[in-house]
Amino acid sequence: MRAFANTLAMATMLSVVGCGKTPDAKPATQAEAGKKFTIAMIAKSSTNPVFLASRTGAEAAAKQLSDSLHIAVEVVWLTPPQEDGQIQAQRIQQAVNDGANAILISCSDAGKVTGAINDAVDRGVPVMTFDSDAPQSKRFAFYGVDDAKTGAQVMSELAKLLNGKGKVAILAGNQNAPNLQHRVQGAKDEAAKYPGISIAGVFNHIETPQDAAAEVIRAGNAYPDISGWAMIGGWALFTRALLTDLDPARIKVASVDALPAQLEYVDKGVVPVLLAQSVYQWGFIGVHTIVEKVVLKKDVPTMIPMELVRVTRDNLGAWARQLRDWGFTDVAPEYLNR
Amino acid sequence: MSRMRRLLASQETGLVIVVGLVTLALALLAGSHPDRQTGALVNNFWNSHTLIQTATDASFFAIMAIGATVVIISGGIDLSVGSIYALAGVSMALLLRAAGPLPPFQTILFGLVVCLGVGLLAGLFNGVLITGLKVHPFIITLGTMWMLRGVAFVASKAESILVPEHLTRVAKASLGLPEGLYPVPMLAMLAIAAVGTVYLKKTVMGRHVFAFGGNLEASRYAGLPLRRIQIGVFAVSGLLAGLAAFLGASFYGSASSGDAQGYELYVIASAVVGGASLLGGKGSAMGALLGALLIVLIRQSIRTLHFDQNNEWIVIGCAIIGAVVVDQWSTRLAARRLSGRAGPAGNLQNP
Repeated sequence: MRAFANTLAMATMLSVVGCGKTPDAKPATQAEAGKKFTIAMIAKSSTNPVFLASRTGAEAAAKQLSDSLHIAVEVVWLTPPQEDGQIQAQRIQQAVNDGANAILISCSDAGKVTGAINDAVDRGVPVMTFDSDAPQSKRFAFYGVDDAKTGAQVMSELAKLLNGKGKVAILAGNQNAPNLQHRVQGAKDEAAKYPGISIAGVFNHIETPQDAAAEVIRAGNAYPDISGWAMIGGWALFTRALLTDLDPARIKVASVDALPAQLEYVDKGVVPVLLAQSVYQWGFIGVHTIVEKVVLKKDVPTMIPMELVRVTRDNLGAWARQLRDWGFTDVAPEYLNR
Repeated sequence: MSRMRRLLASQETGLVIVVGLVTLALALLAGSHPDRQTGALVNNFWNSHTLIQTATDASFFAIMAIGATVVIISGGIDLSVGSIYALAGVSMALLLRAAGPLPPFQTILFGLVVCLGVGLLAGLFNGVLITGLKVHPFIITLGTMWMLRGVAFVASKAESILVPEHLTRVAKASLGLPEGLYPVPMLAMLAIAAVGTVYLKKTVMGRHVFAFGGNLEASRYAGLPLRRIQIGVFAVSGLLAGLAAFLGASFYGSASSGDAQGYELYVIASAVVGGASLLGGKGSAMGALLGALLIVLIRQSIRTLHFDQNNEWIVIGCAIIGAVVVDQWSTRLAARRLSGRAGPAGNLQNP
């Protein structure tokens, strides 16, 4: 199944780079064969499970490419324990100083890391971003969802669940994260298309499952007339707390992400629709794209879009198996056999 | 005790030795990589880029830690330095954006004045609240930690605001060094440590701070201006947080209300590892610098030696406790030696 997932990811990658060649194409020069190629991977936070899945994807891609290209592709994990743009900038510098051949980063604060990315590129180290971009920097490519579109898609799903009317709330995570700000804006813009929908508020919180779930409960108490939640990140559903606090007959929820802890919400009808980011592919396609660009000297597109996967009760089993194959060890067995 | 013996027995000397040993160990164990241009092997740690980068990483903590040390010597604590840093940076970025394009010198001067001004005002605010309301500094600065970050958040609308290029050019000036080497934050850190040392050791104000923290009752009977001293130490701490914010926002090119979140603990840890006593009356600017450097070196070592990044917090926590315990042991050992030398009377004085 993992091989199947990797093949799928490869097919996606090859279609976006448009080169049409298999990854076992020869390195640019014979001299490069047998050499070590180090990619420093700097995600936003090592305590966030989505980035651990992206690391698994990056390491799988590195192994695959090492076998096919006969160069030792290595992924060095330099992700800070918690989100901090300044620390990320320091780690970019460190990766360059340590001799990394390329950097793959999800930016916590584009403004803070842009200078460091430009310095790295000026010193000969190409940089690619994933998940959260630094568009003003000299990075050569970005792979991730269109955040405004993602926010809009969540709100659109919620509007369908509410038949186009009701008071809704937006759960928005870290107020400083630019990608989340774009998702909030996308959700608001989409809500404006439905005359029957009004927004009770945008609720920010520390990005831990407990804080997010507590914020949902607090907001629910403060605004008893909320009839729907548009969750632009899945934090609140990474705990079981809301399984009992959200009454599906009264409150509808649509959320981004579809990690193992969220599957029970879909199964029990508390959250009928999840919009999943293929987080494993952040790393997998990121590493492949870097190798395509730097080692195989091929052209790659600057923007590589990731499409969201709609997860409902109908495809819960297939998605659960996909998560398991991406390295998630906490997928409940009852979903794997569906 | 001779001057040399006093120097060798000082805590700063012990820290210099520890920093030196960690540096040596890293240089020996780091391995090497081929240089991108020349192909020559370069030590992964002992190279100019990594050394200056390590000092740069430490500089923002160290400058704030010197201010925090002044507060700790007075027997207080300042939990709001990270928030002052964020507010000063955001204020500078917002005001510079509102002012529109300015010539380089005016941009730098304006930015510096705003950061120092906001830092100083925030520090004075802390000091006035503490002395006026007679509430422990821990409580007041815990409150202002949230308030000041909240003001930064509301003012910036959670935006990460880019600062003008002129500021980044100054903070990242190579000063004649090869490309990619940026020594300005490191030099600022050294300069502030020197000024802090003179302030604490050679000025009347500095001696007052030690007296205030060492024995409050005696200071009162001696007629020291206690209120002014306490307000002054928080003003110094705020001022240095403002300076760190100026350097940080200029170096990294932007400011946001989320900046320096949690840094207050690194700053206090740097001061304590550097020998400042949370009971007051003890500490030094050079110790704070060395403490910050040691903490950053420990963090660096995890990456340079390719240990699992996830263990970073465990290692730093252990190192902080270890450093303070070793310091206490050495202090007790020195006290015991002194009392031994002083004979029976000395023993009575130091049971």
